[in-house]
Amino acid sequence: MFSSIRANQFVVLRLPSETTKIVQIVPNTLINCGKFGSFPANQIIGRPFYLTFEILENSGDSQSTHLRIVPATELHAESLITEGEGDDDVEVNEEGLPLRTNREIVDDASTQKLTLEEIEALKRNSTAAGKDIIAKILESHSAIDQKTAFSLAKYTLRKQKKYMKRFTVFPMDVSALINYMLENRESANKSMELRDELMGLLGSWGNVHYGGDATLQQTLSKPNGRYLVVDETGGLVLAAVAERMGLLHPEEGSDNEEENGGLDQQSLAVDGNADDETTKPAQRTQRPAQMSATGNTVTLIHANKQANASLLKYFGYDQNNPDESHPLFTHLKTISWLQLLDPEADPIYAEEPAIIPEADLAALKTNKRGAYHRKRNRWSRVQSVVNEVRAGGYDGLVVATLMYPESVLQHTVPLLAGSAPVVIYSPTIEPLTEITDLYSTARKTAYINRKRELEEQKQPGEADGQTDEFPELAAEFSVNPTLLLAPTLETVRVRPWQVLPGRTHPMMSGRGGAEGYIFHAIRVLPTSGFIQAAGNPSRKRRKVALAQSNATPTDTTSADVEMKL
Amino acid sequence: MASPFLTPSSSSQLDQLALLHLRRDQTIPTILRLHDDGNLGYKEGNVTNTRYGSFPHSTLFEQPWGSQIKASKVDTGSRGRPKKRKAVELESPSGTAGDDDADSSKPTHSKAVAASSGFLHILCPTPELWTSSLPHRTQVVYTPDYSYVLHRLGVRPGSTIIEAGAGSGSFTHASARAVFNGYPSPSTDSTTSPTRRRRRYGKVCSFEFHAQRAGKVREELVEHGLDSLVHVTHRDVYRDGFLLNDPEAQTPTTSPKANAVFLDLPAPWLALKHLVRNPPSSTESPLDPSTAVHICTFSPCMEQVQRTISALRQHSWLHISMVELQHKRIEVKREKTGLEYEGVRSANVFPRNVEDALQKMRVVEERSVRFRESLGQDEGAQSDNENSNTNAQNNLDDADLPTFTPSNTNEGIPPHAQGRLVHRSEPDLKTHTSYLVFAVLPREWNDEDERKCVEKWPSQNVADSLPQPKGKSRKQLKREAQAQELAEKDTKAEMKTEVKAEE
Repeated sequence: MFSSIRANQFVVLRLPSETTKIVQIVPNTLINCGKFGSFPANQIIGRPFYLTFEILENSGDSQSTHLRIVPATELHAESLITEGEGDDDVEVNEEGLPLRTNREIVDDASTQKLTLEEIEALKRNSTAAGKDIIAKILESHSAIDQKTAFSLAKYTLRKQKKYMKRFTVFPMDVSALINYMLENRESANKSMELRDELMGLLGSWGNVHYGGDATLQQTLSKPNGRYLVVDETGGLVLAAVAERMGLLHPEEGSDNEEENGGLDQQSLAVDGNADDETTKPAQRTQRPAQMSATGNTVTLIHANKQANASLLKYFGYDQNNPDESHPLFTHLKTISWLQLLDPEADPIYAEEPAIIPEADLAALKTNKRGAYHRKRNRWSRVQSVVNEVRAGGYDGLVVATLMYPESVLQHTVPLLAGSAPVVIYSPTIEPLTEITDLYSTARKTAYINRKRELEEQKQPGEADGQTDEFPELAAEFSVNPTLLLAPTLETVRVRPWQVLPGRTHPMMSGRGGAEGYIFHAIRVLPTSGFIQAAGNPSRKRRKVALAQSNATPTDTTSADVEMKL
Repeated sequence: MASPFLTPSSSSQLDQLALLHLRRDQTIPTILRLHDDGNLGYKEGNVTNTRYGSFPHSTLFEQPWGSQIKASKVDTGSRGRPKKRKAVELESPSGTAGDDDADSSKPTHSKAVAASSGFLHILCPTPELWTSSLPHRTQVVYTPDYSYVLHRLGVRPGSTIIEAGAGSGSFTHASARAVFNGYPSPSTDSTTSPTRRRRRYGKVCSFEFHAQRAGKVREELVEHGLDSLVHVTHRDVYRDGFLLNDPEAQTPTTSPKANAVFLDLPAPWLALKHLVRNPPSSTESPLDPSTAVHICTFSPCMEQVQRTISALRQHSWLHISMVELQHKRIEVKREKTGLEYEGVRSANVFPRNVEDALQKMRVVEERSVRFRESLGQDEGAQSDNENSNTNAQNNLDDADLPTFTPSNTNEGIPPHAQGRLVHRSEPDLKTHTSYLVFAVLPREWNDEDERKCVEKWPSQNVADSLPQPKGKSRKQLKREAQAQELAEKDTKAEMKTEVKAEE
């Protein structure tokens, strides 16, 4: 999907130390990889992703820096050689005993004959990206011939990590960002220690996908692909949702074919499609307004005055200064809890800026006029978003929150259309077991019974009470347990393996910390037909029917009930 | 036709797939039709029978998705011997329903009458629900696996993915959802209006060497409205590769131009020779020349993995990694322990704590002392009276006997909120599905490309006092760089210790 490295794009560099680094590829700058050296950005712009480059330079002459693409055969050299030799990794003597073991190896510094000063000197004078250093070090290791193939491979690898001046360029996508965030503790906390495999599962259970563009929406009975997101990972979940909807990467976005931004132009030129140049005149006529898309949208509900989706900057979308050509400009909507639940308390929503007549407007100063339009636009934008969200009918809800999920569900589940999935991520299980319990069968039954009780009480007084809202019910049950079907709790973990000829085993160490869990369920519309079912022969029989239709067929055992709901 | 998987309407439609959810993991996929093709003779027309009642399709269509539907009274008994009697598990009274009139000859179906019990939920199809309900033909790639595979393969709207073996079609549906960015119009393939010139529709190229399975998958995809997104080819890919069939030519020639490949084959290494940039026989490469290609193979055995990885290395795939996925579902329930739960299902009738145990034992002791006392009294009064036992019992029923009352901590708590909330793994775990091997094949890059690139971006151009990128202050950049360095140091230190630990 990413064809080549583009100017001003963020990319992920993987260094020999296995750490990664996010850099923006600004043309005509030097990119610094710390102790692994630095190189001019221009030397990787336009080149393909996933390649490994080696930094070559003549010592002392920074102008001579140039990059060499390390071919795949070289990267795989070691394994290919071992494979070629066959699988007899363990050389044995005539008695069948291993020829080389680590029995004789003494672990001390004396086996390495090069002194620290000598190594430093080598580093200063070397040109071949550390390979000769490694060769020298290996050469002067007095016990090298005692090493088994296994430990030799490890030793070489360790030295490579230390001295090789190599880096690999990966495109910035959600997967790469997740792994980057997990690398150090501080950022892992910010992203709620969300792992890649859980993000995949989150997207699947949330049924997040492209919902159709404007032309497709016309043929549908309703705007499609509208998702609600509560994301307190700084925009990571939001980015994943947007990626699945085709909104995150502008160059591969689904809606940018009529938006030929500067970036596209560059990539086109690089691709050699020169014939596009003719159709490029500035067509900045009528851009759709921010948050104006009707379908295939993400709506972020945030707990502070400003939404925090700062991680989107890595994908070319700066929240504070959004790029109008980015698909998220029109398809990402934000709304605060205040605006959702008590819009009249929000000044931006409630206070409409007074309309200034055209004539007066023309007389105003330019900056005043600009401010006026900005205010008007902001007001109408907030109005339309808030009204849209409050009207509900959403196609999915994806939650990763620091708040109690119960309160989030209380206010968001009613906004979902029937059959819409609900998914919640939590780094720890306790908030999710509580949620699962809130939708337990026992609670559903209790809720239905209590509701019927209240209805019975109510009916004599106000016969035509159409509202099925009971304050008592809401007080007892914070969430309506009958709104979600098949609440499920699950977790998944990836276990990486090392696969080398003769040395295949699971990785020796991995990341601990939060296990990470996912809750998912489906929004359903419980039947309310019985309320209107007038003219039933007898009151008593109706009551029986109610109980059964909502609980379970009476002849099934209660074990069935538990699983059925 | 719009697919209910991708762009569903707001309610269930006739002749479209709907999923009838009975309970967790029990979902019946059904195409809603008023008339039954099997002519099973129901008065209500087409009926789906379940253990939770019978559901005439006339009650199922044009319902908002997610609706709870009540079962109907359906006469299953008097319509002649049905062939699949076993599937019909119904409450007995329905056979004697009053509306058993002589209008069965009418072409119009009689209106369904709501039964007194039973219901289901009608759900909009998703790949997840389909996976859990699909007719098994082969080993199924389940949700945890396919969600991770598609995520890591970078399959996104507009991508093209090759899938070989289609199998039961679970992965096919999930990948169709992942690549979907509009329905390609069949008449004009790539040459639509000029504004659409860059638009590339996502597609799935599915290969299956089992003719019957391939046919079945194709049939299903038509029923599900996904046939415009998925090309099913019946092919042995080991031998014949991955090019798409061309209606005109005898041999397949069209390249799918894939960005991602998923191989669920017994011997993926045999298929790898076809997945190269420059095939030897001067045919076209099935891979997209303008992007990197991601691959994933799905094999249950380690030997397969080793051969696959070895072949991947020989074909210059990079960033090869192998993982396995450990997935489990977790049950949540309330564990109730206490002596007051006598007769409550699945509760532990056992003292809640030591105090309760003590009190209970004291009471028992006290009662037995009293019992013995009363026996002794009786013996003294009337030595060998038969009624002594009943007398003693009567005496013991007196209110002055000590009774045990468990310490009641559940005062005012409704039963559904009592007990301790606990969780555990589901009883049956899938401890191993398959090993997943991932790799990337970068775009091809030659000296000519390099020369062009150097012309466009002069290599040694480094502005000394370069303007900082927008939105970031110098200070911020510095801080970030420091944080990065720290992080690097950290991980490096960790790595050192790891290596030591390993040795």
